[in-house]
Amino acid sequence: MTNPLLARFIPEARELLQVSASGLLKLERNPTDETAINEVFRAVHTIKGSSGLFDALALTRLVHAAEDLLGEVRSDALQIDSSLVDMLLDSLDQVGQWIDELERRSALPADADGVAHRMATQLRQRLGAQDDAPDGGEPADGPHEAAPLGADPAPIEDVATLPPALLARLPAAACLDAFRRACGGQAVHLVRYAPEAGCFFNGTDPLQAIQQVPEALALDIAAAEPWGPLEDLDPYQCNLHFSLLTAAPRPEIEQAMRYELDQITIASVRPRDFVRITGEASDGPIWEDFREAASAFLAAGRHDELRQAVSALRSVAGPTLWRRQALDWLEVALLAAEPDPGLVAALVAAAGSGRFDPVPAAPAPAAPAPAPAPAPQSAPQAADSRQELARSVLASQHRALEQAGYDADRLASVGTVVGNVLLSLGRDADRTAIQAAFEAAREARSVAPVLSALSAVLDGTPLHRTEAAPALPAALPQAFEEAAPVAGAKEPEGRIAAKSLKVDQAKIDLLMNLIGELVVSKNALPFLAKRAEETYASREMSREIKEQYAVIDRLAQEMQGAIMQVRMLPVSEIFDRFPRLVRDLARKLGKRIDLALEGEDTAADKTIIEALGDPLLHIVRNSLDHGLESPDERRAAGKSATARILLKARQEADSVVIEVQDNGRGIDPVRIRAAAIAKGVIGQEEADRLSDQEAINLIYRPGFSTAAEISDLSGRGVGMDVVLTTVEKLGGQVSVSSRLGEGTTTRLALPLSMAVTRIMIVEAAGSLYGVPMDMIVETVRVPRERIRMIKKAETFVLRETIIPLLRLSRLLHLPDQPRGEADAAVLVCHVNGRRVGLIIDNFREGMDVILKPLEGVLTGIGGYAGTTLLGDGRVLLVLDLRELL
Amino acid sequence: MSGKRILVVEDGITMRMFYQDVLGRAGFTVEEAANGVEGLEKALLGGYDLMIVDINMPKMDGYELVSRIRREPSLQAIPVVTISTEAQDADASRAYAVGANFYIVKPADPVLLVETARLLTGAQP
Repeated sequence: MTNPLLARFIPEARELLQVSASGLLKLERNPTDETAINEVFRAVHTIKGSSGLFDALALTRLVHAAEDLLGEVRSDALQIDSSLVDMLLDSLDQVGQWIDELERRSALPADADGVAHRMATQLRQRLGAQDDAPDGGEPADGPHEAAPLGADPAPIEDVATLPPALLARLPAAACLDAFRRACGGQAVHLVRYAPEAGCFFNGTDPLQAIQQVPEALALDIAAAEPWGPLEDLDPYQCNLHFSLLTAAPRPEIEQAMRYELDQITIASVRPRDFVRITGEASDGPIWEDFREAASAFLAAGRHDELRQAVSALRSVAGPTLWRRQALDWLEVALLAAEPDPGLVAALVAAAGSGRFDPVPAAPAPAAPAPAPAPAPQSAPQAADSRQELARSVLASQHRALEQAGYDADRLASVGTVVGNVLLSLGRDADRTAIQAAFEAAREARSVAPVLSALSAVLDGTPLHRTEAAPALPAALPQAFEEAAPVAGAKEPEGRIAAKSLKVDQAKIDLLMNLIGELVVSKNALPFLAKRAEETYASREMSREIKEQYAVIDRLAQEMQGAIMQVRMLPVSEIFDRFPRLVRDLARKLGKRIDLALEGEDTAADKTIIEALGDPLLHIVRNSLDHGLESPDERRAAGKSATARILLKARQEADSVVIEVQDNGRGIDPVRIRAAAIAKGVIGQEEADRLSDQEAINLIYRPGFSTAAEISDLSGRGVGMDVVLTTVEKLGGQVSVSSRLGEGTTTRLALPLSMAVTRIMIVEAAGSLYGVPMDMIVETVRVPRERIRMIKKAETFVLRETIIPLLRLSRLLHLPDQPRGEADAAVLVCHVNGRRVGLIIDNFREGMDVILKPLEGVLTGIGGYAGTTLLGDGRVLLVLDLRELL
Repeated sequence: MSGKRILVVEDGITMRMFYQDVLGRAGFTVEEAANGVEGLEKALLGGYDLMIVDINMPKMDGYELVSRIRREPSLQAIPVVTISTEAQDADASRAYAVGANFYIVKPADPVLLVETARLLTGAQP
């Protein structure tokens, strides 16, 4: 991907898609949530805006359709519901896939146009479908147009008025024919094609292109900009706009114009625009009578009688009469199953009065799209873009001032703009004159002097006759050059890099490993100091080494902390997938579930976060599958029909704690026991001995699953034992608590980071061992006489708490070292929720290590968390007290 | 180099980069704000020759921002261009009504953008 703008767009779009998806879910739960709809709308809007910078028309179109739909929701014209949310989520998913594709290949897949069209059509169908319902009061926007609009949506411009020039080119018979089609619900399309000024240079023949559109009814070609003097004409610039009327459906038009899609607009034409009545004038009471009767039928909605009246009068009126022709149109209009009342009324009036007043369209139709005179967008296409733009800017100031009237606050910026424009064009004389006008305006407290001065500049002295004009040909190509890099720039990377850096994870991991090695290597220095003192008897040298060690130690720790920060990710990384997942699963299972997230900002090491995804997913699925009841069951149990799952994260000291709470049926220890016996996980006697809590813990035993039927969610052959294994592998703990009928809480506690472990080295039975620092509460020396025997077990009292004592050497099945009368060195540890004192031979220093798990034949040995290297090269075994005790 | 300073107020990060790129190359010094509130704060620090304001933004939208700018005595003389994806006349009229000096439809043509910036700041090409 060479385009830095695209590289910036991709992560932005992904983030916005995520925001939109979670906002939609919020909206589904609470359709009146204004914050959510605004959030979603803005996110989608921003994607649309930015995507317009790239060659991804299909993506822009689909997002545009979604935005339109959301706009309706935002303005309360459309009610959001689950199927709408489904459609929108699907569309956003599709956009997400395209973003992936853009990242891989910098282009959309070949089928994108088709897919976008299909999905956008679906979205717009909802738009059309509900659009009419609440606005039934608008008579002219009747069902005629709603039908083609729904079936054949126009992404750019929905309904167009027909330009008179085009209508004039349509033979009378073709007019009536088009009218018949339009009334019958078959859209007649107006294609407007504004080819680029430079289109001849890329091999486009615009006339040939527009002629490819099938079923053409009429074609009009007009100048985009008024033709200037002949000597100024540049025959190599295309200054043409094409308007084509066609009976072809939209996909065929798009297919024919597929290379020019960004330069065309397609709109369906309202039937009333085709009405063209000619003929001789006539008069007589018969017409008045008809008008009265017909109006009454129309008002009562009695279309059949109206049709009869029309046909009766037609049979007696002369075919050359103007009014008779009005009847012809009226008859066609009435052919439709649901005639457009506004149109019919206008035609009835025409036949009655001998005059056709164009139907006042209820919502005034949008002005013709391409190039209304002061639209700034069309300006740069023309050769003298700069002059045109200047005109347009000045005209805008004129208009704005005219509307605002005298307002000193407004005048200031207009003054700056006008002055700057003239300065930029090098028209110093005009500038002085305008400045004088502004002075006068301030004095007179009226905008009149400025308005007239502006008008004079705009009309009187044509801007392109000034001395600035010769500079123009040079200016334009330069501007193009400057702008060109937008499409495929390489240079501005330096500018981006200054702000944030996107780094491959592998590089961070490498850095992490290197720092780990550094931390371990620095541990060699204290040994070196000791050797300097003991072997070489250089106390001085030893002290210097120790000083250096202190510096390196501090730096290494800071470095480690810094790199840890880089690796920290918020829990939201994994939490964010759950709203969508829970919603989809709940719908599949026919359950109603409210998911709440708490503490998403809690951060933990990337490794932990990444490893946490699957276990968490499993717990949540399990809860959905087995824990939460169906709405009926819940009602029967006197609970609210909607169940609740809470995902909660928080930091506790050096660990991150994640809880999954549900208010479902809870775990029934009786059922668990029975199931465990049936599956042969435990025997009958063992089952009887278990406490309820211990029975609940059975769900973590391999091969355990109580689900009566295997659903497609949790029953995939993976039991909760996998959760336990994964979490313990990360150095974490899992616990479950449950109350029957009230719910279940699963709690995962994981270390914030797992790369470096701080340990304390202890001596026992003549060897050195490591004990993870996070298990050690404190170290005490206990006088022999304070060690008491309770039930044959050694204990001592520490601050009024009885702490059981264990000898590490015995736990390791090693011979006791006779210690005589010296005080016992006791390591007070917190293991499995209780305090234990470990009697060891001696304490040694603390140390940061990278644990290497036991490998090969040693993997089976319990009680050891892993090994590490000491500074002098010896291997240190690090104990796993949880297993050992 | 024109040396003119432009404040771009736009919530889309890609669009901001686009402005940086296009206007930066044309010799303008481009500074950014990600929403209306930030835009107003930066604008009040002063020194800008032009503001380019997106309409649809969180916290404070473009209309609101422009109308506040026009109420600030120190900012009344600064030219403001509003940019929006909406091509409807009503949107442009609203922008002019609150005090914008020009209205551009997004995605803006780079040439148009540069030329507009030059004209409104009085910079020479």
